[in-house]
Amino acid sequence: MTTTSGQSLGGAKGDVGFTAGVPGASEREPPAAAARARRPRHHWVVRVTHWVNFVALGLMVTTGLRIFNAFPAFARKGESFCCYPFAGKPIPNVLTFGGWLAGARNYHFAAMWLLFVNGLVYVTFIYLHGEWRDLVPRRGDVRDSWEMVKFYLFARPEHPHQGKHNALQKSAYFAMPIFGALAVVTGIAIWKPVQLAPLTNLLGGYVWARYWHFLVMLCLVVLTVVHVIMVFAVDPYSIRSMITGGYNEAKSPEARNARPFFWRRPMRAAPRSDGGIDT
Amino acid sequence: MNRRRFVTLGASSIAAALGGCDSFGPKRAGSLLRFAERKNEGLERWLFTSGSRNRVAADARLSGRAFPRYFVSDTMPVWNEAQRGVWRLEVGGAVRNRLSLTLDDLMKMRSTTQKVDHFCVEGWTARAEWTGVRMSELARAAGVTADAQYVDFLSFDSDYHESWDIDSALHPQTLVAYGFDRAMLGPGHGAPARVHSPIKLGYKNTKYLTRILFMPTRSGGYWSDRGYEWYGGV
Repeated sequence: MTTTSGQSLGGAKGDVGFTAGVPGASEREPPAAAARARRPRHHWVVRVTHWVNFVALGLMVTTGLRIFNAFPAFARKGESFCCYPFAGKPIPNVLTFGGWLAGARNYHFAAMWLLFVNGLVYVTFIYLHGEWRDLVPRRGDVRDSWEMVKFYLFARPEHPHQGKHNALQKSAYFAMPIFGALAVVTGIAIWKPVQLAPLTNLLGGYVWARYWHFLVMLCLVVLTVVHVIMVFAVDPYSIRSMITGGYNEAKSPEARNARPFFWRRPMRAAPRSDGGIDT
Repeated sequence: MNRRRFVTLGASSIAAALGGCDSFGPKRAGSLLRFAERKNEGLERWLFTSGSRNRVAADARLSGRAFPRYFVSDTMPVWNEAQRGVWRLEVGGAVRNRLSLTLDDLMKMRSTTQKVDHFCVEGWTARAEWTGVRMSELARAAGVTADAQYVDFLSFDSDYHESWDIDSALHPQTLVAYGFDRAMLGPGHGAPARVHSPIKLGYKNTKYLTRILFMPTRSGGYWSDRGYEWYGGV
């Protein structure tokens, strides 16, 4: 069963979507298989915000690291800081962007709007359009995640049955916007530590807020890197689905019993009746 | 899209991204960045309230000798009385009474002592106890006129200066400071007097102060003209 509540293409006049799963909704829809075949795996809003986010996050991380390099430590002058073992060691400049502190700051304070507005568009869209159902944690996710881990470790022969995403993916995609929001909040706290002092104090003061901002950035980077590795190692066919929207279910990780770098060759002549589309 | 096109496209975008590493970015982005800076300034000025305070606990540790010293001249600027005569702070521009204050005159005015943070644009902070005269006090003494919207703080540290919006200049925590940690301000921290406020980034706080100029328009600043944001409020 699909949990996506996509707009019913060619639906009755005044039909504004949100109908999937509603009893009787199927009467107003064309035959289910045909509708699915024409429906992209990811709505165009999701695809656009995904790639805008890639650019925005890339700019924010690289310029942020350049800013960090102006003082690659956390302790207030004359004090010590408990929790950063690499104090005084700058990030390699090839991982940075902006050229110098002022350049990086100017990019950082411009690209923050791209990240913020894009994130807002994405979250608002998936809330209104129903995609959140594919991401929101449910009871059983812990068990399903454990099954996925067992499968990846060859302790379980068959790929666990899944919806749009497997349980591990789901938690990563659910965590991403949360960490994004935390990056914005901790960032505001170190941008305006006096005018918005209550927020900065809530995070433990300027020094700690700057540390949280750094840690949240690290979490976003780790999530992104793991995501990109897994895309190429488990489901490279999904790249197309994030560009054109097209996806062949016959090549899904579940159908291929795919583990990282280790999967069955997909069948050449994939059955087309199950919703697979080529674009 | 076939596989070859995908690989070509992928490889060229990765190459383009790598080319951006450690770079200043494209020239054409400049106008966009300046636009963002102007909009950010509008938001920051809207967020600003004169009631905002940087509060530091009374028993908080001070940075003391670890408080960084900094100037833009080749050598540490020290006021040479034999060459330049007695140091005076000139207060002028859009004012009814121009002031010319010696350090003694300044120290006779109502003083304020505050333990506050110093936010450097580089990301570090330091704490000190500053003693001086509130800028709002000096503005009152000089009788600032209604057309004064900006204030320029000029120094004898080469051509260093930074201009501020009047609201930030008149904030109660903005001082013309002559005391540092209960002693007289040393030459490493901007003696005889400097601007100090926790509501602006360090580079806006002109050291080695000589002139305060109230103006109807802004006049940039040493670092503001070199790429750092003009507003620099925190």
